[in-house]
Amino acid sequence: MRVPLGWLREYVDVQLSPEQLAERLTLLGMEVKGLEHWGADWRSVVVGELLTVEKHPHADRLHLTTVNVGSGEPLHIVCGANNIAPGQRVPVALPGAVLPGERRIERTEKMGIASEGMLCSGDELHITSDAEGILILPPATPLGRDLSELYGDVVLDVDVKPNRGDALCLIGLAREVAAATGAKVRWPEITVQEAGGPVSDRLSVEVREPQLCTRFVGRWVSGVKIGPSPDWVQMRLQAAGMRPVSNVVDASNYVMLELGKPTHTFNGAAVKEGTIIVRLALPGERLETLDHVQRELTADTLVIADPSGPIGIAGVMGGADSEITDATTEIAIESAVFDPVSIRRTGHRYALRSEASLRFEKGQEFRLARIGADRVAQLTLAWAGGSVAKGRVDTAPEEPASAKLAFRPARVGKLLGAPISTDEQRSLLRRVDVDTEPAPAGTRIQVAVEPQPLVVDPGSEETLVAVVPTWRRDLVVEADVAEEVARVRGYETTPAHLPDTLMPAYRPSPLRVRQLIRDTLVGAGLTEVVTHALVSPLHEARLRWPADDDGVAFPEPAVGDPIAVTNPLSTQHSVLRRQLVGSLLDVLALNERQGRADVAIFEIGNGYGRADAAPREWTRLSFLLTGSAEPASWNRIASPYDLDDAKGLLELLCRSLALPAPGYAPDTRGFPFHPGRAFSVREQSPDEILAGRVAELHPDVVQEWDLRSQRVIVAELAILGLGRGRLPRIHVAPIPRFPGAERDLAVIVAESRTAAEVQTTIADHGGVLLRRIRLFDLYRGNPLASTEKSLAYRLEFGAQDRTLTEAEVDGALEAIRKGLAADLGAHIRS
Amino acid sequence: MDFESLSGDLHRLMDLALAEIAKADDPAALEQLQIQYLGKKGGLTAVLRGIGGLPPEDRPRVGAVANEIGEAVKIALAERGAQLRSAAQAQRLVAEKVDVTLPGRTVRRGTLHPIPETIAAIAEIFGQFGFVVYEGPEVEDDLTNFQMLNIAPDHPARDLWDTLYVDIPGRLLRTHTSPGQIRVMQSTRPPIRALLPGRCFRYEAVDASHGFEFFQVEGLMVDEGTSMADLKGLLDEFAHALFGPRKTRFRPGYYPFTEPSVAFDVECVVCGGVGCPACSKTGWMTILGAGMVHPVVLQYGGIDPERYQGFAFGMGVERIANLRHAVPDLRYYLENDLRFLEQFR
Repeated sequence: MRVPLGWLREYVDVQLSPEQLAERLTLLGMEVKGLEHWGADWRSVVVGELLTVEKHPHADRLHLTTVNVGSGEPLHIVCGANNIAPGQRVPVALPGAVLPGERRIERTEKMGIASEGMLCSGDELHITSDAEGILILPPATPLGRDLSELYGDVVLDVDVKPNRGDALCLIGLAREVAAATGAKVRWPEITVQEAGGPVSDRLSVEVREPQLCTRFVGRWVSGVKIGPSPDWVQMRLQAAGMRPVSNVVDASNYVMLELGKPTHTFNGAAVKEGTIIVRLALPGERLETLDHVQRELTADTLVIADPSGPIGIAGVMGGADSEITDATTEIAIESAVFDPVSIRRTGHRYALRSEASLRFEKGQEFRLARIGADRVAQLTLAWAGGSVAKGRVDTAPEEPASAKLAFRPARVGKLLGAPISTDEQRSLLRRVDVDTEPAPAGTRIQVAVEPQPLVVDPGSEETLVAVVPTWRRDLVVEADVAEEVARVRGYETTPAHLPDTLMPAYRPSPLRVRQLIRDTLVGAGLTEVVTHALVSPLHEARLRWPADDDGVAFPEPAVGDPIAVTNPLSTQHSVLRRQLVGSLLDVLALNERQGRADVAIFEIGNGYGRADAAPREWTRLSFLLTGSAEPASWNRIASPYDLDDAKGLLELLCRSLALPAPGYAPDTRGFPFHPGRAFSVREQSPDEILAGRVAELHPDVVQEWDLRSQRVIVAELAILGLGRGRLPRIHVAPIPRFPGAERDLAVIVAESRTAAEVQTTIADHGGVLLRRIRLFDLYRGNPLASTEKSLAYRLEFGAQDRTLTEAEVDGALEAIRKGLAADLGAHIRS
Repeated sequence: MDFESLSGDLHRLMDLALAEIAKADDPAALEQLQIQYLGKKGGLTAVLRGIGGLPPEDRPRVGAVANEIGEAVKIALAERGAQLRSAAQAQRLVAEKVDVTLPGRTVRRGTLHPIPETIAAIAEIFGQFGFVVYEGPEVEDDLTNFQMLNIAPDHPARDLWDTLYVDIPGRLLRTHTSPGQIRVMQSTRPPIRALLPGRCFRYEAVDASHGFEFFQVEGLMVDEGTSMADLKGLLDEFAHALFGPRKTRFRPGYYPFTEPSVAFDVECVVCGGVGCPACSKTGWMTILGAGMVHPVVLQYGGIDPERYQGFAFGMGVERIANLRHAVPDLRYYLENDLRFLEQFR
């Protein structure tokens, strides 16, 4: 809320500088987001007196004026306005002046006559809304003075929190200033001269929904003359961020800013039979609102109606037909209290949120309905004339007494961690108009309210009752009292110390495994990315990535249809991704546009899906490789990333995570993968701690994603412990005391056999003496048949308790040879 | 043959050998000389063949002379060999000279993304104070995201969290990490010290300081007597750990799920508190919101507010990362331009 300091001073004395005041309010919980120097953008605008006003010789609509600006020769200024006359004091923009909107005023020539500046309208200075005439200043305005010195003000931008609707007005903030400084709040004197007949002759009100409109106060003013409100009113409204409209509408807005009471003024002549009915809209009813939009009203909309139909949406916006116009003479004033929830829903439904509805949503002090109606009537009379009808229409004149809230001073101190004496608490509360009294016997403490109410018996603990002022609807439980005590005392007085209470039990961090993987991959040359979880639905359509761990016994399986956002900001980000690979392709595309050809990235993030109407989330590691595997260097030939680099990373990951080496199985399903370059990976332990899919993308997918890279390798992996949980421990084997024996074995097999099959077969037949298997060569060509290949392995044999004999090693090798021949039809090249 | 003439032969042989060794200029020549003089068919052996014609009493004397001469030749060979090797090595070293100022062979290393890195840094600091990490679902239900946090369906404070809803009734994308408070309280008993990092979503147009996806870290501590003074002490430590010795400020804030609520400011990291555009001339920067857990929230968590009390805090990870790394635009984080990411090395 924008608070002009000059206006605020009307209700409370402020001795502090604006900066000091801003800090005090901030420390009290009314955060001042900014200080604006209102009028700072009037540069070189001074008060002048019109000496002469004559017709321009060459233009009917222009005037020649001479203006005394207090010093030097009078200025000759050409002016187009008609409301000027000699003797008036007016704002004069001198040559070189800059007006709001960076408008520069220079010496010019208008229709052949030099003009040494400009006379300003209120609109040009942004202090009133009058763009027609020059702003006429009061006769006593000191000549030659800078306008910003006279009318400039400091405007505080106060962030009033949603629970403090009572402070969304000048009186409310004056109360806060008073709490901070000890000054007294001055209410404006609100008296209404009632010269008309009884209001009941003009207006009757029927509330058919007393739950939704708990009070309706009406007043009537006859014989008003609509026109602009006084300049000082317009200036205040402008400074507070509201555009002046007319004297009657301004009176209503002024009261809203002053007291926090939204009211509405109807053209009384448009209220049929002088009868207002507060009811729900009927099916099919329509209303043209003040913004000249025809609205279909839904049946749960609370409306202000007359016997012929709706004339306003209650608390949100009035109807166009009953709008105040220049011809209006009869004014019906509505000052009501509406149900906050109903107003909030209505505002959302019609996408109509006004200054009024924002205040209604936060709840209204009951008595303000009466005070607001009186104040609007008073100001209407003062600014627009006419006569106010006697009395008010009031559907609920009985105003509730202050609420009482019991609290235990010791509890307040315990919550704050600082014992505060009861006396001090009482005097602190007094500063925010909260009186305290001794608690009568049997008083219970409201610790929490609906929907989880808790009321306790204080037993022998000292208990007080706080008498809550009617405007503080936010003070309802004991902890609210604690906050009042703390904030008035000043949070800066709270002591600070480290907790000395019990520590929680150990819990493994879900970040730990991720940290290990991140460090490993970064060390291997990949850069970490974090991408949007919300993606375009096109991702799935373009990628058609298969479910990556079907059948894997993970705690977080990737299952279910995609989840869509029902109110997305854009279709680009409207569904939750199921895989991360698409996001990585987007990152690749972006960096390709920056001319990057070598991209190696990874992300650890979530996939999302729905299964049986319940959302599921799973955590995945995804990586993408394209371009050079080794960075281009003057002393090395670059080699492009290929599938073997991806496998190298998988094997590195398994080593980092203390897992056995992974196994690979071909995936020949084709699109979106290169049919000959795709595989599924499983770490070979019964717990299946790592599983996933790795592939070079099908060229069609590369093209569809509009990528420049020819070969793109992607992987999406599920790793136990990535989401939560722990990895297996490393169990150390004793260092062999006896040397091992190495043998090389060249296995000739059919092309159709995979390396994994050969290796598994060797392992299966190697017996306990086989320690290690390492492929060191792959050969095709003479003298092998074209349907054959040779895989050369180095095998290491050994035992813990002895050096093996030649015969033992040969025996083991022979078993392997036989196994290979039997299982795979392989033979050994000698 | 007599001793004198034989001895003279031996000495002449030695002189010849030493002269040739001195002239030898490569290891092969030296080897040749060794064979020529000391080998089985070498000069020395040939001379000694005449030893048989000497009287027996002279033979040991000739033997001694021969040994002396043999040793002298060996030493000369070794010395010359060493000379030649060291000359050759010196030559090789000169020849092997490289331009050591050429750049090295690049070892590829990637970079860690600043968001998880900042989360790790925050977790490390609070970890020292016993806070353990939990994670909650990102697709939340309205009950946990709002209602159990004391935000009724039509609460005006809902405006603070513009929400993205999903096509599962009653579910939404969590607007903050605060629902994790409920989940932690429901799954464990005090003493609680929990940290909840994660991704959040809001219906918010994207610009340099807003995004519809962002990250938060939530903290929760509940025990008998956990007070606002504990909160203040801990947050001071946190601010000092992250930003060095700077003034901090506790002031009232507002959240429906804390009472009292706190806004926590540190002295502006750009201007040091003098006032600059980065801190709206206030000299302060708000780095997180906090407060004492509202009794309603404790009750939803299954914790008796008469026995236990606690605090919670929540911070924007991007906000912290911005301050740590002077990142000018929030969009950098999820855009993943490598020219940005590769600066975090």
